[in-house]
Amino acid sequence: MSESLNEIIKIVSPNYFLDESPEIEKYSVDGKKPNLVALPNTLEEISEIIKIANRDSLAVVPWGGGTKIKLGNLPNKVDVVLCTNKLNQILEHEESDLVATTQCGISLKEFQKSLREKNQTLPIDPPHLEKGATIGGIIATNDSGPKRLRHGTVHGTMRELILGIKVIRPDGNIVKGGAKVVKSVAGYDLPKLFVGSLGTLGIIIEATFRLYPIPKFSQTYLVNFPRLQTAHETVLSILNSALTPTCLELVNLTLSDSISDKLNLDLKKGEFSLAVRLENVEKAVKSHVSKLRDIYSEKSSGSILLEGNSEERFWNEIREFPWIKTENNRTVCKSSVLITDIPKVLELLEELSRKLGAVIYASVRAGNGILIISIEGETSKLIEATASLRDLVGSLKGTILIQQAPQVLKSQIDVWGEIGSSLNIMKKLKSRFDPNSIMNPGRFVGGI
Amino acid sequence: MNTKPEIESTEWKNKFCGKLVQILSEEGVISSQDELIAYECDALTAYSIKPIFVVLPRSTKQVSEVIKLCNKENIPFVPRGAGTGLSGGALPTEEGIVITLARMNHILEIDIPNQRVVVEPGVVNLWVSDAINRNDYYYAPDPSSQSVCTIGGNVAENSGGVHCIKYGVTTNHILSLEVVLPDGEIVEFGGKTLDHPGYDLVGLFVGSEGLLGIVTKVTLRIIRKPEEIKTFLASFDRIEDAGASVSGITAKGIIPAGMEIMDYLCIQSVNKAVQAGYPENAKAILLVELDGPIDEIEAQMPLVMEVFNENRAKEIRIAKDTEERDLFWKGRKSAFAAMGRVSPDYYVQDGVIPRSKLAEVLGEIKNLSKKYGLRVANVFHAGDGNLHPLILYDSSKEEEAEKTEELAVDILKVCVDVGGSITGEHGVGYDKKKFISLMFDEKDLDTMNLIRCTFDPQGLCNPGKLFPTPRTCVEQGRKSYRVHPVEKAGLGEMY
Repeated sequence: MSESLNEIIKIVSPNYFLDESPEIEKYSVDGKKPNLVALPNTLEEISEIIKIANRDSLAVVPWGGGTKIKLGNLPNKVDVVLCTNKLNQILEHEESDLVATTQCGISLKEFQKSLREKNQTLPIDPPHLEKGATIGGIIATNDSGPKRLRHGTVHGTMRELILGIKVIRPDGNIVKGGAKVVKSVAGYDLPKLFVGSLGTLGIIIEATFRLYPIPKFSQTYLVNFPRLQTAHETVLSILNSALTPTCLELVNLTLSDSISDKLNLDLKKGEFSLAVRLENVEKAVKSHVSKLRDIYSEKSSGSILLEGNSEERFWNEIREFPWIKTENNRTVCKSSVLITDIPKVLELLEELSRKLGAVIYASVRAGNGILIISIEGETSKLIEATASLRDLVGSLKGTILIQQAPQVLKSQIDVWGEIGSSLNIMKKLKSRFDPNSIMNPGRFVGGI
Repeated sequence: MNTKPEIESTEWKNKFCGKLVQILSEEGVISSQDELIAYECDALTAYSIKPIFVVLPRSTKQVSEVIKLCNKENIPFVPRGAGTGLSGGALPTEEGIVITLARMNHILEIDIPNQRVVVEPGVVNLWVSDAINRNDYYYAPDPSSQSVCTIGGNVAENSGGVHCIKYGVTTNHILSLEVVLPDGEIVEFGGKTLDHPGYDLVGLFVGSEGLLGIVTKVTLRIIRKPEEIKTFLASFDRIEDAGASVSGITAKGIIPAGMEIMDYLCIQSVNKAVQAGYPENAKAILLVELDGPIDEIEAQMPLVMEVFNENRAKEIRIAKDTEERDLFWKGRKSAFAAMGRVSPDYYVQDGVIPRSKLAEVLGEIKNLSKKYGLRVANVFHAGDGNLHPLILYDSSKEEEAEKTEELAVDILKVCVDVGGSITGEHGVGYDKKKFISLMFDEKDLDTMNLIRCTFDPQGLCNPGKLFPTPRTCVEQGRKSYRVHPVEKAGLGEMY
């Protein structure tokens, strides 16, 4: 192996770390240290490195900002960590087309900053913004945030926003798919295949996105509910009204209290809160606020209005709450269920919290059925809580993904859960693209 | 594919037909030559091939059994919805069968609180919105053929429509698919809930043009109707001004539900055909539809008017009621068919360009039209840059048909040269397979072939489409390599 590593070093020198370097520690994946960290400058360099890895069956872990490296099953092996953050140029942004193409090593924060100069945005708000989450990493994990409701569908996820892609295949070939226009059906939808593929099919180098104008005005209403049932009824009424919120977040008692304390919001203690974000022209936002009041007025126990900095800080907490804390003994899950099944999962969380004495924070994209859950407690409790959640969500035909967990828990379960009848074809796809299984081996679904 | 001499024998055919009847009963198999003619082509009538049989399954199980039989007998099969496709995607294969999903046409489940509808593939697009209309919900993708085309066909082609700029295309509205794979296995991709872990096989399958399997059940995402809809019709002396208005509107931060441009020839034709009442002397008209909350629309309306005026709009109409709105759209939606009023034949091109290149591309098309001496009517989804130039010709004049083909290709080249696509919504199919290389090099196509080979290593599912040359699949795990007969005969290459 050392010979292949030397070949790679020649390509990237002096931009690399070896295992004796103190830097190498922070590039370990679930405790497995790589033998080499390479920081190539160009896509041609990456292509050369991948060719060597493929020839000699080295395990390659693509690395953007490293913010979501704990996602996935324990790796089979980690030989080379390949950092993409030197490939960070925005290649095209034609504002009247509302389309931009960028290299994927750029951080979302930098990308948004540049788009903002032309009053445009990629309407997506996944966590780890300040820590440097990259476009490539967000594509590879299909990570998202609370902003998923606009126009019903096209906002909030890479899946819906990506138009074109350039990748380096596991055999080193540089290939593209999709197009640089907002509509194209020429060939298979390669961009979507790579969204959420966790780097197992190749290295994501460039992507083209559809953009949107930045909304003129934004306000968030934070409404308290003593009872879960009434909070959820309000969610259903809002969804079935003419209101068009961009975020609709149902926050459990523990998280609501914690955010209220942290930001001095003075929310009622021990109650659920519902955050409704309205982004539009000012007149529309204001008129919607009064319609919103009509919907919740009788059921709620109080509400506050957030705008400007306090609004941004609130949504920052919602986005980042599972990731701000540093303690190891916790599990972060993302569960997806039907909108009408949300209360069942939240009730179970309250029950588990009582029964196990675990601290459970939960925030729900109530218009999408996605729950972000953070459970803190001893490992045995984490295992029990995770198993109960899996049982319930499974019976509701939903999914649950364990985004972060102690290694001992990860060694006992598949973090992705059951995939169902499509796993076989996924495995076949992987072996067509990566017959030597060099890309992120073992970390994806079903041992891919 | 190996040509098997016994296929031609009547005895073999009778036997094979018998097996199909066993699976589908008599009513599910079409074998008479007269009836088979109806399935010779789709809406792209320039090509036609008669299939050996057509089957009309009523269940997923029947689809699977038919496909398993085809695998056993090495018979290619072509899936078909309503046959409204414009790229020859449902063109039968020589010595192959057609599997039409028309009888699997039930809406299986309507779940309003969870905003989902589950349908069989033969359900017509418009039926979905009709079924949920009273709940104030609708299904957003609305191709012009929506009163006939099926959801299964929409899935295969990733159909668009006139509201894609704001609401996306079919793929943005599909949550799960039940699929019969090309070997007959029944699998489910995605689910009723969002963000299924694993590869996005739903995303991969939608728009795969029937090459990766046959969809037998679809979960659609439905959305609530907007509170208000306002439709504008503005006429211009120059088509460039209509184009500039489109960019002007988005620059104001407005994403309309739809923006459509029609040129002079097109306006003349639809006025004759459907009495749309568009301004007679206009060189171009631009339809703009805003939808959303009333206050949002009220705030946007003066901005849109401002853009129209800045770009020298001659006449601006705002639909005062649903009836007038429908009339505005009727002209647009019947634009293709209306060409029959001004020309014996027409060819619909489908290309995409970046919005900012609209004026440049229209100029190029005008030049090409002059060069070939053929009239071109332009109608396009201006919001997303999807052009549908309609080339008018007379098929009884042989050289006109040929010139039409050349002109159509030249238009595609212009689209690709400015950074666009050879198809925005009609698909590559049979018609454009030669031109996919304008956008993708050999390695890109090789990557697509990896996908095809994953799903269909035998090459039986809708073969001869999408790829410019026949491609075989390397057997997995085989170290040594033998020359395939197809390759030996110079008919295909190994990738």
